[in-house]
Formats: sequence, C-alpha cells, structure tokens
Amino acid sequence: MSHEDEPDIHTYLAQFDDIPGTRVYTATRARKGYHLNQFAMSLMKAENRERWKADEAAYLAPWPMTEDQKAAVLARDYNRLLDLGGNIYFLSKIFSTDGLSFVQAVSTMTGMSVEDYQAMMNAGGRSPEGVRSIRENR
Amino acid sequence: MARIIAGVGTSHVPLLGVAADGGKDRDAYFGPIFAGYDWTREWEKGEKPDVVILVYNDHASAFDANIIPTFAIGTGERYKPADEGWGPRKVPDVIGDPDLAWHIAQSLILDEFDMTIVNEMDVDHGLTVPLTMMFGAPEAWPVKVVPLAVNVVTYPVPSGNRCWALGEAIARAVASYPEDLNVQIWGTGGMSHQLQGPRAGLINAEWDRRFMDRLIGETDELRHVPHLEYLRETGSEGIEMVMWLIMRGALGKKTRLLHRHYHVPCSNTAIGHIVLEPET
Repeated sequence: MSHEDEPDIHTYLAQFDDIPGTRVYTATRARKGYHLNQFAMSLMKAENRERWKADEAAYLAPWPMTEDQKAAVLARDYNRLLDLGGNIYFLSKIFSTDGLSFVQAVSTMTGMSVEDYQAMMNAGGRSPEGVRSIRENR
Repeated sequence: MARIIAGVGTSHVPLLGVAADGGKDRDAYFGPIFAGYDWTREWEKGEKPDVVILVYNDHASAFDANIIPTFAIGTGERYKPADEGWGPRKVPDVIGDPDLAWHIAQSLILDEFDMTIVNEMDVDHGLTVPLTMMFGAPEAWPVKVVPLAVNVVTYPVPSGNRCWALGEAIARAVASYPEDLNVQIWGTGGMSHQLQGPRAGLINAEWDRRFMDRLIGETDELRHVPHLEYLRETGSEGIEMVMWLIMRGALGKKTRLLHRHYHVPCSNTAIGHIVLEPET
C-alpha cells in the first residue's frame, strides 16, 4: 500500500532508471556500496586522514570492499564509484581529503573540464531540456 | 504558550559556510547571494526568536550508512560542528532546548509520527550554514535550536505529503507547550542541484520559482508533487526541497510572504531563500 501520490515500490524504483545521467541512491545501491561508503566516512577523522594520505592502498586493505571498488577509489573514478554503490555525500569525504571542492570533484563526472563546468554554472547551470526522460526523449 | 511565529526556507550549500568563515561573503561571487539575506538578518534582530526548529539533512556526518532515520529529532543540550573532511567549522556550538525537543518528540509520537530521538550528535553544514546566513558570525548563536534531521539521501525518502503533515503535527506540539516561547521553523536544502553523474550541474530556475510561489498563500499543491518530478526537474539533490514542506506545513492553512531571494549559482546549486509568516 502506498500513498496516492507515489506508485507501488516496484514502479517507484523502476522509474528512476528513466532519468539520464543519474544514479538514484536506492536500497540496491546502498547495499552494494555499504562498505565503500563506510570507508569514505572513516575519513572524517583527522588521524584516519593522515594514515590514508600516508599509504592509500594499505589503508584500504582491511576494508571488506570489492577489488573494483578499491581500484575505483584509488583512481578517483567517481562515476564508477556511483555504479558500485557509492553515494556522493559519502564520497565527498574522499575528495575533501584530497582538497577538492564540490565543483572540482563533480565536474569530473560530467566529461567537461572544470573550467567549462564552472562557466556552465556561472551561465545558469545545465538546462533540464532534453535530460528529463530517456523514454520520452525530453 | 509557545507559538510558531514565522517560517524560513533557505539553501544550505557548504561553500556558503566556507565563504563566510573566510571573509569572502561580500566579494563579486558571493556578494549577490549574501545580499539577499541582509533583509532577514535585520528582521531577525527584531523578531528575537527563542528557539528555531531547524529542519535539515545530515550529509553522512552524524549518521553513517549504518543507521538511516527517516525523521530524527535532537534532544541534546548542545551540538558541535561536524568535521566533514576538512576540519570542523569554527562557529559556535549549537545550543539545544532539551525540554522543548522532548515535548515535541513525545507529542509527535502520540500523533503517530514515529521519531528517532538523538541525544548526542555533531551537526554539519546542513544545520550550521543556515544559522550563518540568518545571524552572521556572532560569539554565540542568538537562539536555541531543535535539530530535525530528515533522510533525503537513501530512497525512498519521505513523501511531500508526509513532510507537510509532520509540519502540521509540529505546530500542534509547539502550541501545547506551556512555556511562553517564540518559535521559528526553518526548512533548509535545495534548490535545484545535481551533484552526481553526467547530468551534474542541472539547474531549473523556472521550477524553483514556481515551488517558492506555491509556499505562499493558501495552496497546498506541493503536498502532491511526487519524488520523480523533483528528480527529473531539479536534479537528484533537488529532492531536499521536501524539507521546506515541513516548514510550510507548520505555518498552517495560509501564509504571507515577508521576503524572498533567488540566485544562481552557488557552487553547483541554485540558492533560494524565503521568509513567511502564518496568516490567520
């Protein structure tokens, strides 16, 4: 039973796949990315950040993450990390530790240079025209 | 008796905290954003609210992936600014109001909102940036704060209708508190933004403005906007706007506009700000 404003859970979840260039953080992604996100969370402590900066691979070793997840973390491949269950607010602990701003880190997911991305934002951002729905091509 | 005297909506972009803390809030980039809050800072000096019920979302700071409360209320004595990966903001601790918070928590549970109760937590930019925008950089925040954290990260997040109804229940809870208090309720987050994937950077000023229009007056249309519409039209993180509906719901049937402000961009995000009061 769901409220009249939202469809049943199956339809509710399926409709998110129709949004271009977007990974909605559903339970499926949250389960897949649980340890990845908890690892990222650990970087909120200054002493952990020091250990991480000293040897990233050694820091990652004890975390029960997949090899894909570890490789994507080391490569800072944020689109891949989203596919592997990462959530941007958790992943932000990694790029904040790297000293990157949200604009710098987010731009890496768009295929644009940070300068072009910043220029797009300053000009009013990305228009929703054409990126609302894959199925309806609008 | 306690009463809700006003509602405030505002974005809570972390970069605003960075700008204010680094003295850049009047430069060419940030000046037009902060200028839209000047009216509110003056107004707040006259209003002198005793308590702010501050609706926000935690960005993987106090709550990790382990425990995901849909609605959590802070009943602590004080909250420290969180270390979000670059060290905690150097702003005053946030002082709670445990008596009022527990009263609201108990009332909400009897009113069938099954709240999570949090006694100790750090508060991140979602809560401290709105305080900065409204009060500047005082030695101590001039209000007590009841934090109300909403899950808008892991789906399903609460529906717009549920948020609105929670606001209505909060208003009932405040009205039954015996102490003579002026209470404001703030809804924070938004407006349009997407921080992930190839579609990142999405801004929909037209939709944002229509959202703000519909917080004013008697309409309750926003109760029925489905999640999919926020995601499609305003970006994946635009969903934070459901938190403004808790504020709107708490203001009763009709509102009057006191002030509004809209600016693009701040970082990846559209800035929206509104001040409303209940109209009876």
